[in-house]
Amino acid sequence: MKNFANPTRTALAVLAFTALAGPALAQQGLDEPFQKPFKEALTGKTVAYVPVAMNFDLTEGWYAGLKKELEPFGVKFVIRDANWNTNAGAQAVTSLISEKPAVMVVHNPDVQTYAKLLQRAENEGIYVIQINMGSAYRSSAFVGANWIEIGERDTEAVVKACEGKSNKIAIVQGALSAAASAYTLKGVENVLAKHPEIKVVSSQAADWDAAKAKAITQTVLKQNPDLCGIVGFWDGMDIGTAAAVKEAGLTGKVFLATSGGGERKGACELVKSGAFDLNLSYDVPTQAAQMAGTIKWLLSSGAKPGSIKGSEYTTLIPITKENADSQTSCWNLSDLKK
Amino acid sequence: MMKRFRLNQQEIVFAVFALLFLVFSIFLNGFLTAENMLTLLQNVAVLGILGLAMAIVVIGRGIDISLIAALAVPPGLVLQMVQNGHSLPFSLLTAVLLTIAFGLVNGWLIAYAEVPSLFATLATGLLLAGLGQAALFQLDVVQWSAGMNGFERLGQGTILGIPTSIVMFAIACIVVAILLRQTRWGAYIYAIGDNPYAARVTGIPSRPIIVLQYVIAALIGCFAGLVMAASVNSMPTRVFNSTLIYDVILVVVLGGIGLSGGRGGVLNVIIGTLLIGTMLNGMTIMDMSYAGQNLIKGVVLLLAVITDSFLNPRNEETAQQGDI
Amino acid sequence: MRDTITRLRYRYWPDHLLGEILSKRWTETAIPVILLLIVGFAFSRSIDNFLSPASLADTARQAGEIGFIALGLALVVIVGGIDLSVGSIFALTDFCALYLLDVAGWSVPAVVLATLLCGALLGAVNGILVGYLRLRAFITTLITLIIYRSAYDLLIQRYSNAIASAFPDIPSWDFIGAGSVLGIPTVALAYIVIAVFGHIFMTRLRPGWHITAIGGSRRSAYNSGIPVRRTIALCYVASGALTSIGALFFASRLGTVGGDIGVGLEVIVLTATVLGGITLGGGKGSVAKSAVGVLIVLLITNGLTTMNARGGVNRMALAGILLVAAMVDIRWQKNRTRIISKVYVAPTYHELPPPPPTEIGQGGPFEQNDKLRDVEAIGLGRIEAPEDVILDRHDNLYAGSRHGDIMRFLAPDYQKMEVFAHIGGQPLGMAFDREDNLYVCIGGMGLYRITPGGTVEKATDETNRSMRSVNDDSRLRLADDLDITDDGLIFFSEATVRYEMDEWPVDGLEARGNGRIICYDTKTGTTRTELRGLKFPNGICVASDGQSILFAETFGCSIKRYWFAGPKKGQVEVVMDNLPGYPDNINLASDGNYWLALVGMRSPSLDLAWKMPGFRRRMAKRVPVDEWLFPNINTGCVVKFNEQGKIVESFWDLHGENHPMITSMREHRGYLYLGGILNNRIGRYKLDNADPNFVQYDKRWGKQS
Repeated sequence: MKNFANPTRTALAVLAFTALAGPALAQQGLDEPFQKPFKEALTGKTVAYVPVAMNFDLTEGWYAGLKKELEPFGVKFVIRDANWNTNAGAQAVTSLISEKPAVMVVHNPDVQTYAKLLQRAENEGIYVIQINMGSAYRSSAFVGANWIEIGERDTEAVVKACEGKSNKIAIVQGALSAAASAYTLKGVENVLAKHPEIKVVSSQAADWDAAKAKAITQTVLKQNPDLCGIVGFWDGMDIGTAAAVKEAGLTGKVFLATSGGGERKGACELVKSGAFDLNLSYDVPTQAAQMAGTIKWLLSSGAKPGSIKGSEYTTLIPITKENADSQTSCWNLSDLKK
Repeated sequence: MMKRFRLNQQEIVFAVFALLFLVFSIFLNGFLTAENMLTLLQNVAVLGILGLAMAIVVIGRGIDISLIAALAVPPGLVLQMVQNGHSLPFSLLTAVLLTIAFGLVNGWLIAYAEVPSLFATLATGLLLAGLGQAALFQLDVVQWSAGMNGFERLGQGTILGIPTSIVMFAIACIVVAILLRQTRWGAYIYAIGDNPYAARVTGIPSRPIIVLQYVIAALIGCFAGLVMAASVNSMPTRVFNSTLIYDVILVVVLGGIGLSGGRGGVLNVIIGTLLIGTMLNGMTIMDMSYAGQNLIKGVVLLLAVITDSFLNPRNEETAQQGDI
Repeated sequence: MRDTITRLRYRYWPDHLLGEILSKRWTETAIPVILLLIVGFAFSRSIDNFLSPASLADTARQAGEIGFIALGLALVVIVGGIDLSVGSIFALTDFCALYLLDVAGWSVPAVVLATLLCGALLGAVNGILVGYLRLRAFITTLITLIIYRSAYDLLIQRYSNAIASAFPDIPSWDFIGAGSVLGIPTVALAYIVIAVFGHIFMTRLRPGWHITAIGGSRRSAYNSGIPVRRTIALCYVASGALTSIGALFFASRLGTVGGDIGVGLEVIVLTATVLGGITLGGGKGSVAKSAVGVLIVLLITNGLTTMNARGGVNRMALAGILLVAAMVDIRWQKNRTRIISKVYVAPTYHELPPPPPTEIGQGGPFEQNDKLRDVEAIGLGRIEAPEDVILDRHDNLYAGSRHGDIMRFLAPDYQKMEVFAHIGGQPLGMAFDREDNLYVCIGGMGLYRITPGGTVEKATDETNRSMRSVNDDSRLRLADDLDITDDGLIFFSEATVRYEMDEWPVDGLEARGNGRIICYDTKTGTTRTELRGLKFPNGICVASDGQSILFAETFGCSIKRYWFAGPKKGQVEVVMDNLPGYPDNINLASDGNYWLALVGMRSPSLDLAWKMPGFRRRMAKRVPVDEWLFPNINTGCVVKFNEQGKIVESFWDLHGENHPMITSMREHRGYLYLGGILNNRIGRYKLDNADPNFVQYDKRWGKQS
């Protein structure tokens, strides 16, 4: 008892105990072992972005999205704007190979031009991510729309709309030489093969040009006033197609399906106004997020460039009158930039 | 004695046009209908308006490669400004001022700094298109916005049954015809194009007139752009990258306005426009591929030019120096 | 003191170089080159590794490809046309190469040849249309641009998949596009080889001159017999072939037949061409200009792209630089000749003591008299500008004429005049050799030989180029007078290397030692310069000792002796200086002395002006040419001097009626024959106490006792 009665000793013992057990008992954080290497893997790295041109919804959207995702991690994000000049783009990729960034995000103008260069880049130790337009060379990652699927789904919608009508449709292609246009056309053909009743009265390339698309559509509509549907290949061009339909007073009678990046003014508002009946969106912000994710994963994985290869095809958002008002179906460039 | 039968290039092109028209009318279902004729014209109205602008410059012995920039950028600016919340009249005024400034720069470079017109307008076109990309537009397709409503009537719909863009082309034709044939300035333009040195020594203010040519050309280009934007409800400024300018030059030169200046008029532009329009329309009805259309267009044009060279031979004695 | 400073300043400061440098043809390219240096410097400061070997090699590959196309376009533009179809030809030949390699499976050499052939054929279409059918180049190539492009579009629709799926692994093919020799990319090497050849072709070979001539004036070229149509057609063929070389390297480097290949290429190449300073419309341009233009355009676009610039900014910067460069360049081209004409004349300091008196009553050897008053005039009004006169042993009289002929007056009365030989340039000094060939100095042409039968042969028209001279002084501009030594060496003077014959008074205004004495060896046919820096060397006479020549320096107002052999070989010694006039031709007299013509008398005003170079330069810049202060040549005389430089006798035409000026005199059988370049006659003066059998060259060659 006496021992217990000695408060000083008791206090000391308690103190000693607490001193020993203290750290174990207090609320303690746990070191996550992977975040530091992750940060180190990203900090100071350079990611180079080579679009075919800036100033249009897709490339601006990707740029804004990537920048937002990568720069907070200390990644240096540089841009090499080819500005519609294939040769300048090839030159930019070539000089990037000498500059050796960690990752190259490449938007191919066609399937071949960059192919050799991209292969060289991965051999030189640069991860290559291709967006929306793949090349003949399969690199670490492809992120983008499946053009064949777009062609198929647009055509299916047009074919459905034509049921019980004239079954005459028109196709407004992009530039003949562009792979995106050729792939989409393949998708269209896939569906038409299953629907022999459908008659294609016109299948012309408008060269991504709204004015040309309008001229073609006007002529076609004059020749075939009973046309029931048009498959367009890009919403930026099909504004012209839509204008021709509207001028002929056939809005609502001719089903116009097209595709695009889903920017609000170019997609949702035009669907809402009735210009387009269906606009398949490949949702640029999601693509940007997927790319950013892939970049982070590749950089932190330490995998040898070119050793792993994969694809991420975008989930398409069909924009119709029903969802055109929804906040999530479309995106705003100005919001994305914030 | 029979007068020797000779045709000039303008008449040859007209003959080709008439021939094509005849062939299409006979063999092509639905070509020779009033509606299709209107479509035909409507489809080439913007090209025709641009052709008028080019004609003025070419008559004055110049060339304006920057027309497409004038077509794309100032009208694009109107759409962009309205989208950003400015009023339509204010936006239009800004665009017109930009166009005039652009024309003045072109004219100054060519008339006062004596830079060859082909090179000067190549560079200024690049400059204006670059300015648009870098500073004026968010996206290269500038969309229509609510503030523009009503303005689309410039390019859509009809006036007395005739599509508006044809009416606009007609108005532009009349204005340019009056300018070239009825005013002193028009006569000066012909004089400068015919012989710039003679024009200068006879006291014609050639430099200011050259500046005027380019200002008017830019304004007409801007007008064509507004018609185009109204007609497709947006301004795809990417049109600058296209080969539209080559079509414009073809319209002018095929119609019979020689690049050496001093010859031709509005009628030539109309003929050239009709030829191109007929070909495009006929081939679209035939559902010919775009590349095939271009190939045939090229071959027909080449034949027209070769025929001209046989009927109106040029030789080393008659060739004008520097006339490329 | 001030004079000393002025003298030193003008002696050691090379004023004349500025004008000579500016008149070089390559200074036309100055502005583009300066721009290139500025652009290169600016980018190397703002971009790391811009000038690293890897980066330079990358640029060189692209520049080589586009450079080939630019060379072709340059050719077409120089011949006075334009080729807009190069972008489409580029695409088609690119397709041709890849199709043959990947789909048809041809061997690499066969592919290379076939591609070149394809390019040449496509160019030949343009060539036939523009050259032979004489269509307008602009519109024609615009149409072929469209046709070729649509052909390409149709072709790639069918074959692009086959080409895209092929990754051929042929080392020799890859070497074309990706290989390098000593770190220099193959394409750059190939470009350099072809560019050097192109430079030689355009500047040194006949077809190159034809091309420039046609571009300069098609009509004149046609009238002078150049095959205009064929040459023009071949230029387009060359343009197509050169474009296909560029396409070949491109095909090997990237292996693509993408849709946009070659679209808008014509604009880039045209921009480079014009920026380099090749004038649209023809007649002007060079390989160097084309290369500089390509480099500027590519450095700007690539540099700005690397600096993260957006397409729009890039376009604006490119356009801005193009415009500024074009404006500066046009000003420069326009004012270059004006600047040259202002700065070319570079007067220097030249001091002479007061001249000896000539007035009657003042005494002295130069005292005026009227001995030449009664000379007999030969060919009065029938001959123009007999600078020199000479007689053969049959007493026939020869003289040059302004029309480029050697005229012969037949003995004995000299009434009959005939054209002995037509040369084409103004004949100046004359001399006979042992075989009776007449050697003549022709202003602007050189030294010519006329056989007794009247056949004209060129002896020499060039000498060794001096390395320190900026002007190319290998050509003879103003061969003036000559004499022949016993060993067959011809010494002749070239009055000035800086001016043409018609500008000779300007050389006097400049008073710089621009002349030289040149020796032509008739045995070996070689020509070499003996003496330089002489003030308008003029008359030449082999002295009696046979080891030296006497020569006159017109604006030095002196006679000097130059030993070409013997113990004093190579030395120059003054025989007479401070003459009262400007000495011209020297010839042997029958008594062993020498005749000397004074073409004009010095004036105090020019003597003073010669000491004031600044004054003369201001005059040359501000006063029109016909108001300039020139040497006085409206009066003159003939003097006889001896071996020691003493004046023995002088002959004047006091009233200037018969011989207002005298440039030469020749003693022959007791008579003195007088020539003058501004005269319309030849004078004949009876000499007292002269050897009636003296024939100058017969005496020299020992054909006469």
